[in-house]
Amino acid sequence: MGTATKGTAGMGGEKILDIRGLRVDFDTNDGPVHAVRGIDLEVAPGETVAIVGESGSGKSQTMMAIMGLLAANGRASGSAKYRGQEMVGLPERRLNRIRGEKITMIFQEPMTSLDPLYRIGRQIAEPLIHHRGLSAKAARARAIELLELVGIPNPKQRIDAYPHEMSGGQRQRVMIAMALANDPDVLIADEPTTALDVTIQAQILTLIAELQKKLGMAIVFITHDLGIVKRFADRVYVMRAGEVVESGATKTLFASPQHPYTRMLLAAEPTGRKAPAPERAPVLLEGRDVEVVFGGRGGWFGGATDAIRAVDGVSVTLRQGQTIGVVGESGSGKSTLGRALLRLLPSEGAVRFGGRDISAADKQAMRPLRRQMQLVFQDPFGSLSPRMTVGQIVTEGLKVHEPQLPARERERRAVEALKEVGLEPAMRNRYPHEFSGGQRQRIAIARALILKPRVVVLDEPTSALDRSVQKQIVELLRDLQKTHDLSYLFISHDLAVVRAMADHIIVMRQGRIVEEGPTEAIFDHPREPYTKALMAAAIDGKAFRQTA
Amino acid sequence: MTETALPIDTPAAGRSLGQDAWLRLRRNRAAVASALVLLLLALAGIVGPWLVSHPYDRIYPQYVRAPASFEAYPKEDAIVPAFTGALERARVQIGEVQVSGNDVRAPVSSAEPIDPRIVRYVDRSDLFSNARLEDEAGQPMAEGATSAVMVADVQRVRFIFGTDANGRDLLSRILIGIRISLAIGVLASLMALVVGVTYGAVAGYFGGRLDNLMMRVVDILYSLPFIFFVILLVVFFGRNFVLIFIAIGFTEWLDMARIVRGQTLTIKRQEYVAAAEAMGVSDIDIVRRHIVPNALGPVVVFVTLLVPKAILLESLLSFLGLGVQEPLTSLGLLIAEGADNMRSAPWLLIYPAVTLTAILFALNFLGDGLRDALDPKDR
Repeated sequence: MGTATKGTAGMGGEKILDIRGLRVDFDTNDGPVHAVRGIDLEVAPGETVAIVGESGSGKSQTMMAIMGLLAANGRASGSAKYRGQEMVGLPERRLNRIRGEKITMIFQEPMTSLDPLYRIGRQIAEPLIHHRGLSAKAARARAIELLELVGIPNPKQRIDAYPHEMSGGQRQRVMIAMALANDPDVLIADEPTTALDVTIQAQILTLIAELQKKLGMAIVFITHDLGIVKRFADRVYVMRAGEVVESGATKTLFASPQHPYTRMLLAAEPTGRKAPAPERAPVLLEGRDVEVVFGGRGGWFGGATDAIRAVDGVSVTLRQGQTIGVVGESGSGKSTLGRALLRLLPSEGAVRFGGRDISAADKQAMRPLRRQMQLVFQDPFGSLSPRMTVGQIVTEGLKVHEPQLPARERERRAVEALKEVGLEPAMRNRYPHEFSGGQRQRIAIARALILKPRVVVLDEPTSALDRSVQKQIVELLRDLQKTHDLSYLFISHDLAVVRAMADHIIVMRQGRIVEEGPTEAIFDHPREPYTKALMAAAIDGKAFRQTA
Repeated sequence: MTETALPIDTPAAGRSLGQDAWLRLRRNRAAVASALVLLLLALAGIVGPWLVSHPYDRIYPQYVRAPASFEAYPKEDAIVPAFTGALERARVQIGEVQVSGNDVRAPVSSAEPIDPRIVRYVDRSDLFSNARLEDEAGQPMAEGATSAVMVADVQRVRFIFGTDANGRDLLSRILIGIRISLAIGVLASLMALVVGVTYGAVAGYFGGRLDNLMMRVVDILYSLPFIFFVILLVVFFGRNFVLIFIAIGFTEWLDMARIVRGQTLTIKRQEYVAAAEAMGVSDIDIVRRHIVPNALGPVVVFVTLLVPKAILLESLLSFLGLGVQEPLTSLGLLIAEGADNMRSAPWLLIYPAVTLTAILFALNFLGDGLRDALDPKDR
């Protein structure tokens, strides 16, 4: 590695974690994959180190290698010392004395990191009994103490809760409590807030920062979110393709990034604004008092389930060329609204498309309209059928709406659509799993565009993507809107992206519209407390944007 | 630190999910070996019966329950007594019997001129044919001679696996049994596949009341005892080859329907199905283009496990006497016969049983291998 790693600020002689020339290789069908290519990294006691990189940069695998958690086909080599004790190649038995006790880890997905079959109290107590030899009673007392520490209200009762009874944020708190159970020296946090809503994210980050102050452990923070890095980390390592391209104190690195990749990451925040659509533009899609209710019917053996009002009396007016950003946390009903407007879900209230009432239209009646109203999904991995080639996926809509089209013409249009979204048309004979997330999202956009729609509902189209890819997709969507005069309903929880995309914003909470207005007005002068809370939670990104 | 290029989106080398699975399957030695064994057995079942020298229904009355042997029948020590026995009935004096190659000869003499018709005594035995009387020089015996040489051709036949209780060659019967068993296994599984996949996908995709109704029908059919059902069919339609695979297919598609329905329930919540709906693709096309191809992974695995199950069921039916009709046979029937003659003629049980076991082992290993290969989590 280059000189950048050496002589970093704030490094005394003492190192709690010292990684030298660590390599991680995976054996696959296509030969070995070098996930980590000899990196150097050091952590001093009590400091917060961030490892930043996009997906596939090897940032998680580095830590997995230290913890001995690599997949079966993975191999680690090089050196990683914890307080002078070599950890690479250490037998499982001795490794267990360090990991889970001195070095602990929290993961991205709080939904799956807890075993759904056991009460959380037992899951926290287990390692205490195992590592510390505490009695069951003492372990339980300690578990309650820990739950209190991580800010779970009413810990004495909640200790007997099952994971599914807790919210995502609470589950992440439980994970943190488990990680802290044995007073670790190092806490590795692997994207601990990525799966959470923005407001919860802020709470968890604050909690981690407070805990560090209180307990004084070192934190290794793995993330792709530079806003978090800027706020929490003392030092930063920027990783790319298995190598550390740049490292240094957070302040210096953010102030004067040396490596072009770092600069690109810093500039990856979506920028630019969309010009508002003219006031006079014709109304394309209109929903009046749209209401979607789930459940509430009697089951087979009686016992009616509780009805959930996912969307509760929402009115939307989408004009030609306009982009409405729908903002809200998970469960606010924003995706449901989008689907109800496209008549993919049964709903109450009136929906008009191009002046025609389609609220009562059935599948048959909707079919000819479908080509004018398209949908792009959040998950670029789930929205493309894995058994169809890209060409088949893109042309499927044409088969429905223009069945008389000869195969050659279909092919030509597919090539055209793929070119338009910036993909090599020659790739159309490949399968989706061979593409990266950003490319897949481009394919999904091409699939929607080939039908020349007028309205596209974009359901979190950038949430599963890396920042730099997000920026490209946002720019692509804006360009396409300009060339085809499209109208977007842009659903997202990411305020930075919404700001770059929308000219009108709807803030939703629990199925209702909390606040609505032009983008700049909402961002600069939010009126409702909920909107303010959302903005405040996203403030890190914002503050970062102002300085960058 | 040298400057590194900014990331460019380049796709990995082209490889479909199927090719991926194939690669992983090829690395599984047990599965590959099983596939080879199956291929060989299937080939043996298809062309084997034409290659072996005995038709599967030819009866050799003189070789009932002949033990398995590489040596040709009749054996040397059986020829001499049979030959002398035949000649004794002709009331002539017999010299030393010589067996050489494919003929047997013995000098005969009598006080009176030898009646040339005595060759019939020899011909009457199944071991010998073309019996003739010759003089010392090898010429046909002169009329009225009192001594001559009785020469007869010996019919040499090989029964590598021995013969059954009716004197039929076990090898050719096993070959025909492989053919029938595999055919029933594959046909019944195909029937279960087509019916089960269609039924399950339709029930799962449309859901609601239709799903309820369709799956209750499946439940009702499930509760019918299989043997009872087969006996009913046999009573109404008589024993028939087609009936067997209909009966097996008819019971096996129930499992398939449930598996496919379960798969469909998860697949229809995938976003690519929602995307197709949003595009206005018709329900039938969604089932055909999106649901069925994506449910195929577990289905393929289930089919490879279904084939041995069907073969076993057929064996059970044949064992109970409800299966294929004599002289046609199946491995199950052969084993049933073998079990009857277990003490006196163990080879009748051993060879069909080994064959069936080999087929079942191979199919199960292949099924396991396929399941591992098709599971994308196992990468």
